[in-house]
Amino acid sequence: MFELKKTLTYQSIFLLWKEIKEFLCTLGNIGRDFVRVFNCIFKLKVNLKETLEQSKRFAYDSLPISLAIVGMTSSIIAMQLAPELAKQGGADYTGMLSSLVMVRELAPVMSAFAIISMVGSSFASEIASMSVTEQINAMKVLKVDPVQYLIVPRVLAGFFFMPVVFIVSATFGLICAGFVSNWTAELSLLNYITSLWHGLYVRDIFIAILKCATFGATIALISSSCGYSTRGGAKEVGISTTKAVVWSFLAIAVWDFVFAALFYL
Amino acid sequence: MSLEVKNLVKTFDGRKVLNNISFKVENGQTLGVVGFSGSGKSTLLKIISGILYEDSGEIIYPQGSEVAMAFQYSALFDFLNVFDNIAFPLVERKDLRKKYSNKQIKKMVEEKLKMVGLEGIEEKFPSELSGGMQKRVGFARAIVTNPEIILYDEPTAGLDPVTSTMIEDYIVHLKNKLNASCVVVTHQLSTIKRAVDYVIMLYQGNIVFQGSVQELLEGNNEYARQFVSASIQGPMNIATK
Repeated sequence: MFELKKTLTYQSIFLLWKEIKEFLCTLGNIGRDFVRVFNCIFKLKVNLKETLEQSKRFAYDSLPISLAIVGMTSSIIAMQLAPELAKQGGADYTGMLSSLVMVRELAPVMSAFAIISMVGSSFASEIASMSVTEQINAMKVLKVDPVQYLIVPRVLAGFFFMPVVFIVSATFGLICAGFVSNWTAELSLLNYITSLWHGLYVRDIFIAILKCATFGATIALISSSCGYSTRGGAKEVGISTTKAVVWSFLAIAVWDFVFAALFYL
Repeated sequence: MSLEVKNLVKTFDGRKVLNNISFKVENGQTLGVVGFSGSGKSTLLKIISGILYEDSGEIIYPQGSEVAMAFQYSALFDFLNVFDNIAFPLVERKDLRKKYSNKQIKKMVEEKLKMVGLEGIEEKFPSELSGGMQKRVGFARAIVTNPEIILYDEPTAGLDPVTSTMIEDYIVHLKNKLNASCVVVTHQLSTIKRAVDYVIMLYQGNIVFQGSVQELLEGNNEYARQFVSASIQGPMNIATK
């Protein structure tokens, strides 16, 4: 007897539909929380104490790993670039190229990745645990708005402190690149610093800061929203955390493309 | 201050979890809600407390009344110590923050901790407390706003008999002290006997028994008899729940 539900095609379509539904649900939840957060900020319903607490966490927790990743990446680029440029007689361009690549692209994106793995995942798992242990329900019964208490401070912390993490890690990355150029291509630090300024434009710095603020707020919103909509138990906490990380990576890639298209096309 | 529930209906995925539920809890009375797991007891509490919305029906209590809920697993904020947990609504709610000074908040927290017999543990975190202590801190947090309506979701679940008795005594003590209307969702006969004035029994979203504790224990209602005797045989079929 032919049974439609047992066919591979039916099951494939069913699974695909389930994935699409899941995708749309997550997108809807993030959109709903964005509106709630925006509404709270617009009405100045901001918990300053909690915002400061989350800002401290955002900056301190992610800074060491951001410094490590951005420092290593810029050193590797300088290591690859400086000897080749020196061979072609263009060693003086090392600083310019490093600053261009680091400020415009690598430092914001690498810092964002570090923040997703360090802070975003912890936001998601923390809020998801609160959700499955009814702590969020308890807040509702106590007439404290969980979005205002949990999500708004995190989004504000991301918006204001991701640029700080970027500035510190990009500066550190450029210093690392300078030392590596000196080591691999015998480029003097003075020459490196002089050429650095040729690739560093104030406009680029402002765009990078704006991009980082957007990245920070996006990571915090997605991570918090994925945690907030968690239902079930320990398994779902894990699923939500993974979802938050994957969605944050995806969002950063999309934002990066949007910024590149808006400002450099 | 009384609590009245009128014709409450709630549906999840096309399944009626609560079907035309009506009851009234007078001031200073405690209603026990019993029934199998999945019969809609916790959903009922979540609707009364405002966590969930009803599909239709009414929850009636005087405007401005405080509704508090003690959760099954306490739901204490694990990132805050006992003091901050209890003070949470006083500190975070704008209307209450304006009303009380820090000194008054400290006094209120200490007073509520004393009411549940837990003085001197303000600095401890929830993870450092036993299950029974967590429940009592949950009670203290629930009553810190001096609520007129208190909801208890399985207050003795997972506790040993002695601690359960202590918790039941606190339910009675808090009700008398605050003169509140209370709703207790429970599976435990001991809780019904010690802490409850009258009972409703839910089965598949319907009220199948409504009466005094005496009637539940000794009456002729076949649902009540099956529940009290903990029998598999009877009108309530566990397989279909």
